[in-house]
Amino acid sequence: MTKPVIEVESLAKSFGDNHVLKDITEKVEPGQVIVVIGPSGGGKSTFLRCLNLLETPTSGKVAFEGQDLTTLDTKSVNSLREKMGMVFQGFNLFPNMTVLENIKLAPMKVKNVDDASATKTAHELLQRVGLEDHADAFPSSLSGGQAQRVAIARALAMNPEVMLFDEPTSALDPEMVGEVLNVMQELAKDGMTMVVVTHEMGFAKSVADRIWFMADGYIQEDSTPDEFFSNPQTERAKDFLSKILI
Amino acid sequence: MKKRFGLLLAIIVALFMTVVPLNAQHAQAADNSLAEIQKKGTLVMGTSPDYPPYEFQATVNGKSTVVGMDIQIGKKVAKDLGVKLKVKSMSFDSLLVALQTGKIDMIISGMNPTPARRKNVAFTHVYYQGGYSIVVNKTDKAKYKDKDSFKGGTLAAQTGTTQYNAIKKQTSGTKTKGMTSQSDLILALQSHKVDGVAMEKPSAQAYVSNNKSLASIPSHFNMSSSATSSAIAFRKGSTSLVNEVNKTVDQIKKQNLVKKQYLPAAGKYLKTNSVDTSMPHYWKAFATGVEYTLIITVCSVFFGFIIGILLALARMAKGNPLKTALRWLATAYVEFIRGTPMMVQVMFVYFGLGLFVNLPALTSGIIAISLNSGAYVAEYIRGGINSVNIGQTEAARSLGMSNGATMRYVILPQALKNIWPSLGNEFITLIKDSSIVSIIGVTELIYQSNIVRSDTYRGVAPIVVIMVLYFIMTFTASRILNYFERRMQHD
Repeated sequence: MTKPVIEVESLAKSFGDNHVLKDITEKVEPGQVIVVIGPSGGGKSTFLRCLNLLETPTSGKVAFEGQDLTTLDTKSVNSLREKMGMVFQGFNLFPNMTVLENIKLAPMKVKNVDDASATKTAHELLQRVGLEDHADAFPSSLSGGQAQRVAIARALAMNPEVMLFDEPTSALDPEMVGEVLNVMQELAKDGMTMVVVTHEMGFAKSVADRIWFMADGYIQEDSTPDEFFSNPQTERAKDFLSKILI
Repeated sequence: MKKRFGLLLAIIVALFMTVVPLNAQHAQAADNSLAEIQKKGTLVMGTSPDYPPYEFQATVNGKSTVVGMDIQIGKKVAKDLGVKLKVKSMSFDSLLVALQTGKIDMIISGMNPTPARRKNVAFTHVYYQGGYSIVVNKTDKAKYKDKDSFKGGTLAAQTGTTQYNAIKKQTSGTKTKGMTSQSDLILALQSHKVDGVAMEKPSAQAYVSNNKSLASIPSHFNMSSSATSSAIAFRKGSTSLVNEVNKTVDQIKKQNLVKKQYLPAAGKYLKTNSVDTSMPHYWKAFATGVEYTLIITVCSVFFGFIIGILLALARMAKGNPLKTALRWLATAYVEFIRGTPMMVQVMFVYFGLGLFVNLPALTSGIIAISLNSGAYVAEYIRGGINSVNIGQTEAARSLGMSNGATMRYVILPQALKNIWPSLGNEFITLIKDSSIVSIIGVTELIYQSNIVRSDTYRGVAPIVVIMVLYFIMTFTASRILNYFERRMQHD
């Protein structure tokens, strides 16, 4: 058996009296695509952000390749984050830099890659997400779909082992969802380990290896897409599916 | 005699005397003052050159120089001691502090040896005995006889001087008006804001002989002789030095050098001064002023910005107790700087730090203004950083960038863009506020214009010139800033 990439043990997170995550124990195997779905406010995004310590867990353990992140110093956390790319709902591109500069920044400043090879990699990545002719554009001139594809390319530039997607298509106009999902699908096909929080059930069905259904601060179900969509186990999941699959 | 004892000065002297009484004690402990000066080879004389004919600025061979009877006395003292004389100009208010903090070795500036001053400094024998006149407009001369003729009117004098106090105490039914500079007083007189200006006889003579619309009448103030006399001040306890210089003073008095040589010589400069009082004639003085104003502003903006960034980061430090302490300190600093006048800060840096390191006035000015500006810039930057979406930080951190790299490459450039208009405002404010360092004798634009005014006896023209010069500087600066603001617009 291969070693899990991410292991979560008894993870809990509270904001004051608000207990968002209560007790989560899960693991992600290399090459797996995990899709986290569930009702809003169920803790999906918080869970994802705990994986790369953008949120500090209140208790429990988050391990990446066997190393518990919660016990590491800031510097080691920084270097582990390099291996976990993250894509946000709001893109979060750097508005003061061109598309190319957005992609080159982290490799050059964190990994000390020289300008020429960073540029070369950036162009390759842009080609991969279908935006090679937008290299010198500023983010403000891009559509939402284009911006999100640049954000994916920017995360890939650090050559991560895992990609975390936090509702990557929720802020997009409907006609742009497809282009982003296509890129994600390609990534999955190439064997990238992915944890995706999304409301795109079609994507979940066709791309996910496992579905984690999350509600009320717990992962209520952990199953294959087929099992989950055709035969949900919990009342919570049945209720959720009945509301979205009309 | 001049006896300005500004409240500010009193406070600062008191502060230094209580906080750091080293100097006085040191001087009293071992009196090798004479030997020290002779070893040093130079004698630094402090004076306030806005008081013709005692001391004033004149253009000698195309160069602006301090001249006057006090300068002649200073030269004689230095010559008799066998050392070189160096003249340092500053405002009268600053002279005593400068002497006590070692910026200068002696004061010759028409200073009268009052009992209050004797507590803090050592005086030589009196070298000149003067008196007071009242300058009036020539058209009104017939109306006034002496100080008692101004009932229902206004008499003016330099604030804090002996004659100012005399007007207050020795006239009744007359309003008293005080101003800082002699040339402002004359201007007020000519524009009929006041009816008469009390000043020392030699000064009054100088004004009257240089300005045909003015006339002088006797004051008849009831004065003790100590209040109308001038003496040289040294640091307290420098007995050997004072005794040596007294020999020179006695000789000056015996030979009546002041009346025979020094005053006529000073009068000659007054005449040459009045030959060409057109503003273009003084372009060099203004050019120097612009140069120093720009030097101070550019340096202060640069250092102020760096200090501002550090302070802003310190104010946002969170986490361990050390960072909390840092935040607390930075906050206290910002509040303190914003809560005290820049003028006091400038004086504090020049005289206060001067006790430990001898900083030139220009450096002190730049330090003080940078420290001041840093506090304001810090607040702008803090606001700018807070205005950058948290998502930017998260994106950068998720890419593995450290806190510092995130700040430097992602947050600060965006913050800077957001606060650029405020920073530009600060820059333009500094161009104007740099004028404050004129009080410690930095030859920036205001200082230079005051010199031109006392030089030419023209009140308004130099003000107009520097207004135009300031506007040219600020307008150019705002154009340049706008250009960069446009360049930063990507979204």
